Amino acid sequence: MINMMRADLYRMSKSKGILFFWLFTALIYFISIAFKAWGGISLAEMPEFPENTKTDIGQIAMNFTFYFLLIIPVFCVITSEFSEHTLKNTISSSVSKRQYFTSKFLFSLTYSTVSFALANYIYYAANRLVNGSEYSSALKDFTKAFFTQFPLFIAIVSIFTMLAFLLRKGALYNAVTISAPIVCTMIAQVLMSINSEKEFLKKIRDFGEKLLSYGVETMSARIIYDPSNDYRNNCYIICIVVTILSFALGYFSFSKRELD
Amino acid sequence: MQEVILQTKKIIKRYRKFCALEQADMTVYKGDIYGLIGRNGAGKTTMMKIITGLTNPTDGEYSIFGKSGVSAGSEKRRIGCLIENPAFFGGLTAYQNLKYYCYQKGITDMKQIDNVLALVNLSDVKNKKFRKFSLGMKQRLGIAFALLDNPDFVVLDEPINGLDPIGISELRETFHKLNKENNITFMISSHILSELYAVANRFLFIDKGKILKEVTKQELDLECSRCLVVRTNDTKKTAMLIESELGIEDYKVINNEEVRIYNESAKPDVINKMLICENVGISGIYESGVSLEDYFKQLIGEED
Repeated sequence: MINMMRADLYRMSKSKGILFFWLFTALIYFISIAFKAWGGISLAEMPEFPENTKTDIGQIAMNFTFYFLLIIPVFCVITSEFSEHTLKNTISSSVSKRQYFTSKFLFSLTYSTVSFALANYIYYAANRLVNGSEYSSALKDFTKAFFTQFPLFIAIVSIFTMLAFLLRKGALYNAVTISAPIVCTMIAQVLMSINSEKEFLKKIRDFGEKLLSYGVETMSARIIYDPSNDYRNNCYIICIVVTILSFALGYFSFSKRELD
Repeated sequence: MQEVILQTKKIIKRYRKFCALEQADMTVYKGDIYGLIGRNGAGKTTMMKIITGLTNPTDGEYSIFGKSGVSAGSEKRRIGCLIENPAFFGGLTAYQNLKYYCYQKGITDMKQIDNVLALVNLSDVKNKKFRKFSLGMKQRLGIAFALLDNPDFVVLDEPINGLDPIGISELRETFHKLNKENNITFMISSHILSELYAVANRFLFIDKGKILKEVTKQELDLECSRCLVVRTNDTKKTAMLIESELGIEDYKVINNEEVRIYNESAKPDVINKMLICENVGISGIYESGVSLEDYFKQLIGEED
């Protein structure tokens, strides 16, 4: 399994997709540091930030952008093996299907989350160096905020990995992963706008609110600012369940699947 | 006793209602160049996919290097494969592709890449991207990949597809050399009979998922070569008379009713007269002998 991960690391070093990941990340952070502001992709209404929020913490709260960027490493590690049919080389002469899945899952997870962490900490260092302590928080506070949000990104990469194994085709994987949060937010907002006093419809409206509250984009920001432990704990439970389910579903479906 | 590398017992593979393999039995011995012969869709690739773990059999069992079930997986590194079309990363060069698999297989000596590339005559284009390779070059890189880890058993599915005549001839020599010098056992599938005949020493004929026949090259030569077929009710006496009266030793008793004489000087009228005089019942004497293609057609029951 270690050998497989070494091989994947070698291949990633030759991949142009990863270059795009870093270029886009650098662009966002360059703008943030240059203008002493934070920002990113947002689908729903953002929670209110406290007035004294430092730039780097605000930028962490906008990490939903990484939802889209982290599609790239998983795509490069897994779907390219399906589209080029290279996985049969590995499974026919090196490892079993189960070992293959486990190795790819762990590598995708490690590679993506380490890249994510590295990007955040490089940004922190650069922002502190350029803008000083007025616009950056203490390392301890930054680390606390980062790791508060970190389990969410483990869950996101786990879902991506499972989807890559289930969908196999690169275009389909990209379409599903990119559109998923948009579709969820859209459905949630439609449900929330239901204007009726009927009990059943009220429940549907409540469901819409929940869907929005626990959507990826809301969670990634609110998990840092929401003072309620209940919300944070619910987020962690969702993340743990999603991570385990993603692994289990991918593992069992891939090990039983016929390879063409 | 010869060491068994691969043995399958009653392997069945079904894809819903379609039966791709039906009760397939075969045995590959160490040092064999084992040829799988069959038409497109006969079940050759399915058999190869099963023994390399790409797909699971619906029923039946197989053993590789004497190990079966889950423990057979531990022998995977002793197998080199090229199943269906050669598949590599288009954006990487031939060298980079093989380096990726070296890391994956835990091969630390990267000189092995140059060795296998030289073996398949790809040294000059090792820094060319795979997507720019011709079909023949891709095929040769696939064979280089199969040989990368110095395997004991190499499984090649239609390896000569897309190769030019000189390439085919060179590859044939490479297979023979590796088989003799490195004692590598090969299993090669093809639907080009003449090519497989030139390289293999044992053959398995397969059609519509059914194993038709497993023969050695000597047996195949014997069955295909020109001969005089004598159909009689007493093969024992016929054989004795052929040997004692006519001095012919080059013959074979096929079954209870048939004797085949391979001696070119054997005359049907002389044999006929002799057997009648000795009161041996004869139902027919005729010349026989088929080409490989005709032999295969006979096996699968197809008329000319």
